[in-house]
Amino acid sequence: MAGETLGRWRGIRTTAILLAIWEIVGRLDLVAGGALPGMSEILIRLWVDWGDYPRHIWATLYASTVGFGIGSALGIGAGVIFALSPTTLRLFRGVNIAAFALPPIAIAPILVLTLSGMAPRIALAALGVYFVTMTATVIGLSQADSRTTDVIRAYGGTPWDVLRRVQFRGALPSILAGLRVAAPNAVLGAILAEFGGGGRWGLGAYLLGSLGRGEPDRLWGIGLVATLIAGLSYGVFALLARRTIGATRAVTLNTAVPDAAPVASTPINRIALTLGTIALPFVVWWAFIKLTGVPDLISKTPLGVVDYLFFASTAQSAQTRLLSALAETLPITFMGMAAGLGFAFLLAISSRLFPRAIEAFMPVALVTQTMPLVALTPLLVLMLGRGTSLTLWVTISVTFFPAFVTLAQGLALVPRSAEELPRAYGASRWTEMRMVTIPASLPYLFAATRLTVPRALLGVMIAEWLATGKGLGNLLNQSRGFLDYGMIWTVAAVSVLLSILFYQAVVIVERRVLRRLGMASAE
Amino acid sequence: MLAPDGISLSGVCKTFSGRGKVVEALRDVTLSCPKGSFTAIIGPSGCGKSTVMRIALGLEAADAGEVRIAGKTPMEAAKAGETGVAFQDPALLPWRSVRRNVKVPLEVLRQSTTPGIDHIQNMIDLVGLKGYEDALPGELSGGMRQRVAIARALVTQPQILFMDEPFGALDQILRRQMNFELQRIWTETRSTALLVTHGIDEAVFLADRVVVMHANPGRIVDVVDINFDRPRAPTLFSDPAFHKVCDHIAQVLHGR
Repeated sequence: MAGETLGRWRGIRTTAILLAIWEIVGRLDLVAGGALPGMSEILIRLWVDWGDYPRHIWATLYASTVGFGIGSALGIGAGVIFALSPTTLRLFRGVNIAAFALPPIAIAPILVLTLSGMAPRIALAALGVYFVTMTATVIGLSQADSRTTDVIRAYGGTPWDVLRRVQFRGALPSILAGLRVAAPNAVLGAILAEFGGGGRWGLGAYLLGSLGRGEPDRLWGIGLVATLIAGLSYGVFALLARRTIGATRAVTLNTAVPDAAPVASTPINRIALTLGTIALPFVVWWAFIKLTGVPDLISKTPLGVVDYLFFASTAQSAQTRLLSALAETLPITFMGMAAGLGFAFLLAISSRLFPRAIEAFMPVALVTQTMPLVALTPLLVLMLGRGTSLTLWVTISVTFFPAFVTLAQGLALVPRSAEELPRAYGASRWTEMRMVTIPASLPYLFAATRLTVPRALLGVMIAEWLATGKGLGNLLNQSRGFLDYGMIWTVAAVSVLLSILFYQAVVIVERRVLRRLGMASAE
Repeated sequence: MLAPDGISLSGVCKTFSGRGKVVEALRDVTLSCPKGSFTAIIGPSGCGKSTVMRIALGLEAADAGEVRIAGKTPMEAAKAGETGVAFQDPALLPWRSVRRNVKVPLEVLRQSTTPGIDHIQNMIDLVGLKGYEDALPGELSGGMRQRVAIARALVTQPQILFMDEPFGALDQILRRQMNFELQRIWTETRSTALLVTHGIDEAVFLADRVVVMHANPGRIVDVVDINFDRPRAPTLFSDPAFHKVCDHIAQVLHGR
């Protein structure tokens, strides 16, 4: 217990030091001519503006809560079905990867086109919750103690009995941990939909509306409130988990899409299953349009997008615009991601050399895990302007922290004896790192890459949409203005496809490399 | 110094503090292992027997007392390549083949020269893993992994061999087998060996002397000389004289 208290003290001390530095820097207007006000100035402004807040907070809270409810119900329900039926899990793999990898901002305009009122916000919030909850449920259910499972089976229990009596109770900690990570995602989803939705109320709308007015202290106040709401939603579940099961888990985000054990079957069945896996996301897309009943002019089916991009009279110009947008977006996505991952890797590795310094930094990194970082892009616009460096920094900031947490927590799992062996032969710290720590961190580096792929694309697109006026994000925003429905659907489809493609590419490289090295991939 | 060429600890004390309490792990431990001898340390969990080994390896610093390994400080001896070590956990690097795992100490000591490389193959043969040189640890059984760890401990041809419950994770049958193997290997290399173990029969079968420790505070309560002829045959395990010695040690161990 003493160690934990000590760690908490360090965390508080670090936070206090950071706040003090922030206050001094803010008061002296050291950052971009006053773009970063002091904490006291922000709080005073928050007090002055307080009359505006309740309706905005209520709108965001309403959308994220309803979205959270729907998303977690869907996630747990789907998780149970997937855990019972590996074939279904296999069949839905494409849909699940899409749910994980799609940049929410890309489908926000689509949801606004096809749904009305609060529904787009709720849908985006639910989408942010679904994947995390589903994964946590599948993992929790499949990790049930096989001996207790055998006891139920030995007495003739059905799979349902096993699920009810053993697995569900055993999965509870995992599911609660999933909900805890998912809750801030709901807030982020709601705010992102508010950016793209054009409604009047909601913190996202408020943030966007205040962006043009050049009042840093107000923007920071809104950011602070958004962060607080996300943090509180996390805290509620952390507390619930501690109360009900007395166990808390690390704040790692699961980045692996659960994979079913290969279903033993004939080659024909397997091919059919693979085709179904690929086709299902498109079927879902098609069904969504048919169910919402929006006219063909506005909503495009998969075939409609292909037609728009390749066969319509405007296809040539659409292709040109899309390709030039991609040429702007992709390089900076990769650069930002590489930089974010690189910084995270260096810092995590050096945490073995300077454990004290990193220990103090860790609480800060964990706190940022619950922050709707991407939703705070307007704050970065204030400090960095609207140039390319903004895009780069947004991307680095949304990739660095999760990558660092994944790597640092992974490295903490390297067995002590493996690290002591070189030391017992008088090896230097550097030799120890080169021989043990760095190779051992490889699975976690891949896990971090998987996690950051969709985030990097989301970060870039948000920066482009809100500030820089370049690339895919801008194309999406412009098409909204021109009522170019074909392009809206095309950009959404292309960015989702790209995300899935990158994710799969990382998974394939990871499998190859780790298999050659005889390692298992990190969850 | 009683054992200038072997292992010698005199008046070693060590306390650990943390989590609000202070644990006296070792109180005035004095131990001397002459060159070429085989010493086993036995004791209940928490008696500090692993701490003795970690201090002798230089992984932990003693609060008081003096430690000499082949006449040097533990770190000097380690850097001179005079010690070899096997932990309870084989601690293999999963991304390295058997051959490259055995090579780790040579790499650390920068002895990756041709004679060293030849010796890797000798050690792999010695522990009976011929044909598995390119296998990864994940493809080996628990006993085979432990044998890789032993080969790795021997690859520098150390004068001093430290083993911290190297067979603790193995089943009884495999453990016996490894005991015979270890005796054969030790007879061939003639190094000074220090073995930390939980098993009384293992300690009596292998060692020239068995050091018995008690906990709270960790201290040496008795040193029992074992005088069976070498090489010791598997039949020794069923010898009444063997059981008499074991019973005696068990009594000391349980404080009767």
